[in-house]
Amino acid sequence: MKINSIIINLVIILAAASWSVLATSSPQTFGSGANTDNVSKISTILASPDDYLDKDVTIKGTIVKVCKKRGCWMELTSDKKFQTFKVKVRDGDMVFPMTAMGKTAFATGKIQGFPMTLERTKQYLAYQAEEMQESFDPDSVTEAITVYQLAPHGVTIVD
Amino acid sequence: MSKSINWFKSVNWLKLNRSLHRDIGYFCIGMTLIFAVSGIAVNHVEDWNPNYDVTQETVTLIGLSDQIEKLDFEQKEFEQWLLAELNLQTTIKAQFWETPNRLKLFSKQNHTLIISPANNEVVIEQVKPRVLLRAANFLHLNEARKAWTYFSDAYAVMLIFLSLSALFMVKGKYGPLGKRGLLIIAGIAIPIGFVVMYSS
Repeated sequence: MKINSIIINLVIILAAASWSVLATSSPQTFGSGANTDNVSKISTILASPDDYLDKDVTIKGTIVKVCKKRGCWMELTSDKKFQTFKVKVRDGDMVFPMTAMGKTAFATGKIQGFPMTLERTKQYLAYQAEEMQESFDPDSVTEAITVYQLAPHGVTIVD
Repeated sequence: MSKSINWFKSVNWLKLNRSLHRDIGYFCIGMTLIFAVSGIAVNHVEDWNPNYDVTQETVTLIGLSDQIEKLDFEQKEFEQWLLAELNLQTTIKAQFWETPNRLKLFSKQNHTLIISPANNEVVIEQVKPRVLLRAANFLHLNEARKAWTYFSDAYAVMLIFLSLSALFMVKGKYGPLGKRGLLIIAGIAIPIGFVVMYSS
């Protein structure tokens, strides 16, 4: 009898805890949440990305793409036309919802750079062009590039 | 000392084990179903989207490029025209020129309108969360963190108890020391076999 009542109490407590966890709020925060006090322009970072490597920065932009399968990355618009910046987490660290597209995100974290070989650069740019449904000539690429992204420890998404 | 020994002897451990196994088993039904269904869903993430139903429809709109290339182009006016043409009851919350030939509009009802003026085409992409599966995956993958982490740990402990207490549920030829013990060995051998075969 005692065991039954303990279990019933446990169920009630845990159900309440689950409900509070599931309740969504706006703004949505991931990790520690973004530090929105000091926002750097994406165009400024991308103009000289090596100056920002491994430094903690906050960027802001409209979410225009989200990883469909695992929600492990999203792309934010820059203040410069046609420019975006990828925010990428390790799978499962944060899960960005697809329904956040079109909303504004602040992301605080470190800028990372991934230098590519020429062959890898061609593959990467070919994939990008395919995504954009644009034609691509691999021979037009003569230099390897470095891809930059932000590894956030805090993200805040506002409507 | 002798008091506690007497108490220890007075408890019917088999009966207590059965009661706990039964009640904890009942309690775990909901969680087990959530984790199992979500497990199947996310196991096949390469083949389908376990969280969202994403649909795409391509519509050709005569005059689309003319609307965008108008000298007195007004974003709001264009959005109203487009939504009326597509018969969508929504409002646009953001827009983004992805390339000089590709405009994206995002609606409040989770539409993404991908506009290619060059060929007068609009791709209407809509994202609808799979309500129950999304919630189950949210829990299974511990997206919430916070208190759910501790609850999941408690659930895991209860599963460990259920599996170990099962060993003491039945005595005799149907118990784990009889032929049914082979089932226990099989349940342990199969995962070990996979590790031996596929891990490098």
